[in-house]
Amino acid sequence: MKFTDYCLSSEGAGVILATSSDEIHPPENIIDGRSETFWTTTGMFPQEFIISFHKCVTISKLKIQCYLVQRLQIEKSISKDPVDFEQCIEKELLCKDGELQMEDFSFPEIQATYLRVIILSAFDAFVSVHRVIAEGLSQESSNSIF
Amino acid sequence: MVKLAAKCIVAGDSAVGKTALVQMFCNDGAHFQKNYTLTIGVELLMKTVPIPGTNDSVELFLFDSAGKELFSEILDKLWEQPNALCIVYDVTNEQSFSNSAKWLERLRIQTSGIHIPGVLVGNKIDLTDRRVVERKQAQQWAEANGLEYCEISVKEMENFEAPFHIVANSFHRLYKEKVEIFNSLV
Repeated sequence: MKFTDYCLSSEGAGVILATSSDEIHPPENIIDGRSETFWTTTGMFPQEFIISFHKCVTISKLKIQCYLVQRLQIEKSISKDPVDFEQCIEKELLCKDGELQMEDFSFPEIQATYLRVIILSAFDAFVSVHRVIAEGLSQESSNSIF
Repeated sequence: MVKLAAKCIVAGDSAVGKTALVQMFCNDGAHFQKNYTLTIGVELLMKTVPIPGTNDSVELFLFDSAGKELFSEILDKLWEQPNALCIVYDVTNEQSFSNSAKWLERLRIQTSGIHIPGVLVGNKIDLTDRRVVERKQAQQWAEANGLEYCEISVKEMENFEAPFHIVANSFHRLYKEKVEIFNSLV
């Protein structure tokens, strides 16, 4: 058993919806495992994106790296399709000029096939999201797909 | 290529020509509204403005707002989280110009300290004999308050696209500046 980040395209994750898209800063940048690349919102709030996992995963720690995000809501779904989301986090973030926001959320283990991240408001007209990290213990043997 | 979206508040005293301007812009100069209609609350119109020299564009969501005091409480709610401002006055009406300060102040409350692009628009310049607000005076006030300035005649279809091109370009520039900052974070 080891800790795995499920929010990686290399782990089978995908971004199946994003309300903004700049070709140069696409939503896939959130799950590429790099903090240098990012997704930008392109105006007006709320904005959201949905990450799909390749199976139902168990997450015990969630991290987000972003900039200028003020109010954030995170929901999860355990359905096969991206429906029936339940809210698991709503938080007002702080932001320091020129510093990436690194927010950690810990909770008792949750299960999810999809994560929905909603940016309700911001400290400026645009925000960036660099990474979402969803860590959980993985058993090497459980490679089953739906 | 990126398509930006901006909530642009169009405000100013009643009967200065806000609705005529927004309608004219959104129907590409096809129709000048001759009869006055009182706007209640807000009318929302959308138009995509291409940014010259790029493949980018800005979708302007124009919140054409009531000028009558009567609707001010509704407006404060509808104006939340604006991205751009367009304050219109009538160059033949001194009070509509002096009230621009009041409109700007009310809109600034909504922006909670964030700088957002804005333009002051002098309308009805076709009425040269009745003009009471001089260009220089209005331009100076706009500059002092961080706004761009332009003069138009919706009736003569003169320069009516300028205010929206100004805010769309400023909003696009703001986006590019922010992306530079995002790039420098890590």
